[in-house]
Amino acid sequence: MTTSTLSRTTDARRPATETPERRRSLRGRRRRERWWAALFLGPQLLVLLAFTLGPLGFAVVLAFMKWDGLGEKSWVGFDNFQTQLSDPTFRDAVLNTLTLGLITVPVGLALALLIAMALNNVRGKTIYRVIYFLPVVTSSVAVAVIWQMLLASGDLGMLNNTVHDWFGITLPDWLNDPDWVMVAIAAVTIWSSLGLNVVIFLAGLQSIPAHLTEVARIDGAGPVRVFRHVTLPLLSPTIFFSFVVAVISSFQAFDQIYVLVDPDHNEGARTIVYQVYDLGFKKFEFGASSAAALLLTLMTIVVTVAQFGMQKRFVHYES
Amino acid sequence: MSFSRAAKTVAVLAVGAAIAATTGCGGSSGSGSGSGKTTVTWSTWGNPEELARFKDFEKDFGKRHPDIKLKLQAVPSYSDYHSKLLTQLSSKTAPDVFYVGDDFIGKFVSAGVVSPLNDKMAAPDSKAKPEDFFDGLYGGAKKDGQIYGIPNDANPEVLWYDKQALKDAGITEDPAALNAQGKWTMATYLEMNRKLKAADKAGSIFYNWYGSTYSMINGFGGKVYDGGKFVGNTDAKSREALKTLADGYQNGTFLVADNLPEGNGSDVQFIKHKAGFSAGGRWMIDTVKKGQQDNYDIVPFPSQTGQLMPQTVATSFLALNKNAKNAQAAWTFLSEFVSKDGQTVRLKGGGNAVPSVKGADSVVMEGYPAHAQTFVDARDGGFANYPEEAGVPELTASINDLLMKLWTGKVGFDQAMNDLGSLVSAKLR
Amino acid sequence: MVTAIRRRFGTVALHTLLIVGGLLMMFPFVWMLLTAFKSEGQMIQDPLAWLPDPWRTDNFPDAFDAMPFGRAYWNSFYIAVITVVVTLLTASMAAYAFTRIEFPFSRSLFVVFLLTQMVPTQVTLVPLYVMLSKLGWIDTHLALILPAIANPFAVFMMRQFIRAVPIELEEAARLDGANRWTIFTRIVLPNIKPGMAALGIIVFLSSWNSFIYPLIFLNSEDKFTVPMLLASFKGQHGGLDYGMLLAASTISVVPMLIAFVIGQRKIISSMAASGMGGR
Repeated sequence: MTTSTLSRTTDARRPATETPERRRSLRGRRRRERWWAALFLGPQLLVLLAFTLGPLGFAVVLAFMKWDGLGEKSWVGFDNFQTQLSDPTFRDAVLNTLTLGLITVPVGLALALLIAMALNNVRGKTIYRVIYFLPVVTSSVAVAVIWQMLLASGDLGMLNNTVHDWFGITLPDWLNDPDWVMVAIAAVTIWSSLGLNVVIFLAGLQSIPAHLTEVARIDGAGPVRVFRHVTLPLLSPTIFFSFVVAVISSFQAFDQIYVLVDPDHNEGARTIVYQVYDLGFKKFEFGASSAAALLLTLMTIVVTVAQFGMQKRFVHYES
Repeated sequence: MSFSRAAKTVAVLAVGAAIAATTGCGGSSGSGSGSGKTTVTWSTWGNPEELARFKDFEKDFGKRHPDIKLKLQAVPSYSDYHSKLLTQLSSKTAPDVFYVGDDFIGKFVSAGVVSPLNDKMAAPDSKAKPEDFFDGLYGGAKKDGQIYGIPNDANPEVLWYDKQALKDAGITEDPAALNAQGKWTMATYLEMNRKLKAADKAGSIFYNWYGSTYSMINGFGGKVYDGGKFVGNTDAKSREALKTLADGYQNGTFLVADNLPEGNGSDVQFIKHKAGFSAGGRWMIDTVKKGQQDNYDIVPFPSQTGQLMPQTVATSFLALNKNAKNAQAAWTFLSEFVSKDGQTVRLKGGGNAVPSVKGADSVVMEGYPAHAQTFVDARDGGFANYPEEAGVPELTASINDLLMKLWTGKVGFDQAMNDLGSLVSAKLR
Repeated sequence: MVTAIRRRFGTVALHTLLIVGGLLMMFPFVWMLLTAFKSEGQMIQDPLAWLPDPWRTDNFPDAFDAMPFGRAYWNSFYIAVITVVVTLLTASMAAYAFTRIEFPFSRSLFVVFLLTQMVPTQVTLVPLYVMLSKLGWIDTHLALILPAIANPFAVFMMRQFIRAVPIELEEAARLDGANRWTIFTRIVLPNIKPGMAALGIIVFLSSWNSFIYPLIFLNSEDKFTVPMLLASFKGQHGGLDYGMLLAASTISVVPMLIAFVIGQRKIISSMAASGMGGR
């Protein structure tokens, strides 16, 4: 391979003080680097092109059409987008989705980080890890039954019944009241996704070279300072990943809601993805469904771009 | 550095397994044309017990028609089933014969993806003649005199009642006995509900669907459609019925089954004597047999006069794919499946529905519940939604969604009636 | 002395918190386990009860008899294993290219990768189905495995872990004349093992739990996966036999727990092996 002592092609950007031969070898290396890039990227890229981008393109085109899934398609321009944007159900779905994200992302990640920190070095960590991971593997049927029985209103629900008996307070009908259902959904979402985030954070914490925290401790830094100045910066790429993914998945919320409530019976539980599903598979408006999905994509892009923009300030990378 | 070696080994194994899996599947997914048999694919939803009954039918069918090979595509849940069917239809890969729910059939008919069946049904050797089936059950499957789907069976919605709960509430009269005397009126029924409520029980449990709601409207002597126009929100008696329902739901006289928690739902409430009535079809036999079965019996929805009024019937249909590869073989299967013999095989011995075909009622009269005849009577004069509504996709669902807001008190009564009017007129155009 | 007491107090407080939180996390799982031993009668008479009375072990054999679980188990298992192995390898390869190799449009391409995750699967389902049916892959497991391999989140995650690998390690290897592939397998992969183990767990779970794709893409019962069989225990009108349903669920959960235990042990033990870890 290359005999150069330089490890990265960033050097190619250097002012051209090199000799022509050097430049030629640089060009050759750049070409070789592209081959390497193609080789490494190839498998993922090919599968993505074949099975994701094709259907995605179809969805984009469909957003400008009227199609009931069965008959002919007809071109309608931006109609589907206009209808969605002026539809109060879509606007409510956007609000519901944002509410869910605003609760689950910060609370879920903060809790996961705390638990991962606690589990990183505590005695009996394996058993704790398994326990905190259990919600992830609990079957959705069990999740549905237990949470519904827990959160049901009146004397049907364990929580409301107990609180009423002990404190005389009547709690809201979590699952049937549109004003409260998102709180219930957020709680279940955090509960069920916590384990995965903890696993990711634990992996991130384990990747931090121990000698770095050791050095800081020897220098007399307390645990808070070690966390703030060593652990947090080194963990920041992992946190950033979880943050981006958590936002995207909270915008795509569907499964955990469907397990808990039927959004047809409770409009407070309608998210954008439910709207997408409802328009397509229940109302046979596949064009409108695609348009709603693309609006969601647009919204996600804006937020993700903002996150990547903030990255420079908060995320610390090895370089 | 054993990592890379191990990874390589596993990767090679994985690719090998993948190739094996692919080629293996490719071999078995051949359409069976090589064996000289005609393959008919069909699809339905169902739980393991129902699927076992379907397999029994397939076995019988195989004996009669050794040249036809049946391939069942079963999907567990009703809504997942229709998502899959829609996906298959849109890519023209749907099975030759498929089940369709009553809320989807109208759309499939108007989109022209299901085959008209009149000629086939009327053929001299047909095992499923148009007149073999109760006319009210065709619902949205019949359009302008042409039949596009045959009701595979039927589930008239009746009121199951809990004798113990009624007794606990101080109710001495037996609903079924009153019905036999022609005295089963809405007034009597509502009075029983009041007593049940006073005894700290729920009066009745309903699912939020057109069946229960429209039966209540009819029981008040109201109308839902009049001359093709929706009058459910304007007719005085219909409004009274809806108001009674809304008030009842809000004060706990009635419960919405859909909103009860899983694991502690309507079945459990009913078996634990916490409700007097629970609306449902023959499928509820399974549920009540888990309590003391002799404690339960059935009665039709009450009418204003006490005479039996038309009852609502839940149905689903068996339809023939317009693009079926072997339409003749597919029709042979379809017609035998819905025929008298076919329904008898599927529904005998504790089946969960009532035959939609004439002359197979012996499977209902197996001795339970005591007034099983009510199922038969309810079906005979029953109807599968109003044609005005069945023909418009998603109309029924939208009405239900709106009414749910009324039942839970999220929308006031007058507001709901206004919304209902504008919703229906927008959809009916 | 004082610090020792304080530390001990801190430990007790920490464990108390972890145990309380743990109870909250595990109770639905425990309820699932217990209910798997309940009779139908008990579920009706006292649905809120915790302990089975009587204990009924027949739910497990009954569940196995009701549906062809053995076959579904094998199907789910080998699909998940292939998906995990291929995803881990290809995603970390792609992540390496995005992190350490310069090529034109690197950033834009990464954005495209992420972008595909922002479109709900509900709208790509129909076109994907059409495509797979044209390929003749409907009712084959290939339809589940191959599309699942394109996993931009996995690439993203591996990218974050590779970025945390000190560049000096790589430079030293380059000095020794190692090529990209050697560097990737000998330097990068061993250093991101914790991340790969975590990703392996995640990919295994999502493959094992995958429901809507198998439901739509598979037709024959002998190709069904475990979640499809589980779903069939619930009839159209609910049903009350939660004992059998949750017995079946419990059986289905075991492989995921095993995958987790193996994976999380890898997260820790790999560190000692590569000489970076602390404890």
